[in-house]
Amino acid sequence: MRHVAKKNNEPAPKPLSEPVLLILTSLAAHPRHGYALIQDIELLSGGRVRMSTGTLFGALRRLLEEGWIERFEQEDTSRQKQAYRLTGVGRTQLEQELERMKDLTRVGFARLKTMEAR
Amino acid sequence: MKRAYRFCLLLYPRGHRDLFAEEMLHVFEQAAAGRGGDGWLWQFHFAFSEIAGLLSGAAEAWLAPKPATRVAGTAASYVPQELLEAQRRVDAKIAAMVQAIANHQFERARQLSDQERIARANLHALRQKYGDELGMSF
Repeated sequence: MRHVAKKNNEPAPKPLSEPVLLILTSLAAHPRHGYALIQDIELLSGGRVRMSTGTLFGALRRLLEEGWIERFEQEDTSRQKQAYRLTGVGRTQLEQELERMKDLTRVGFARLKTMEAR
Repeated sequence: MKRAYRFCLLLYPRGHRDLFAEEMLHVFEQAAAGRGGDGWLWQFHFAFSEIAGLLSGAAEAWLAPKPATRVAGTAASYVPQELLEAQRRVDAKIAAMVQAIANHQFERARQLSDQERIARANLHALRQKYGDELGMSF
């Protein structure tokens, strides 16, 4: 019987919801304000996701509470143009999620190839 | 449309409104302007998704555990009963208002909004009476 050792005692992180993943990905390159996030997310998803302001700001509030993003005022703009950027914790969470998705994708394609080879 | 959006923003908890309301309205205006050239079907779809997003966002904001209670655990046993009751009355009015809007009962929602304002004023008065040393966010 094979025993697979656990890497550590920490529980596996929960998969991120789609809005959260899209927001973190959008902020990965550089900071953005609210409307720029909506536009970039639409672009990132190939036009599939058009996030409403209610969904966007609900997710932003949760991410701020978790400390995964931070809010700051861009120079020469009003309060209405607060911008958001990833924190170190947020970047780590995004990297972990992308790694998880990469592993899943690799396993998925490997199984498909096995199926085709039969 | 902007007026309806402003009205729906009233459904959010005070803390969320203070932090995001102005910004949300501004982003909504930008998004609406971006949809300006689209057909009426897209406009309708946009309006519907915005209102639905606000309603679900408001419900989620009320139901989500507050960061302070997540970290420090509950201090409810130290809060005067009168204060808890006042908070429950505000929450109940908000929940009823969300329900009324979801059922397109706008007149009822307006009445509930007035009642919620009174309940909130009462809560505010009680908070001043008991002091804010408990460190709870309402």
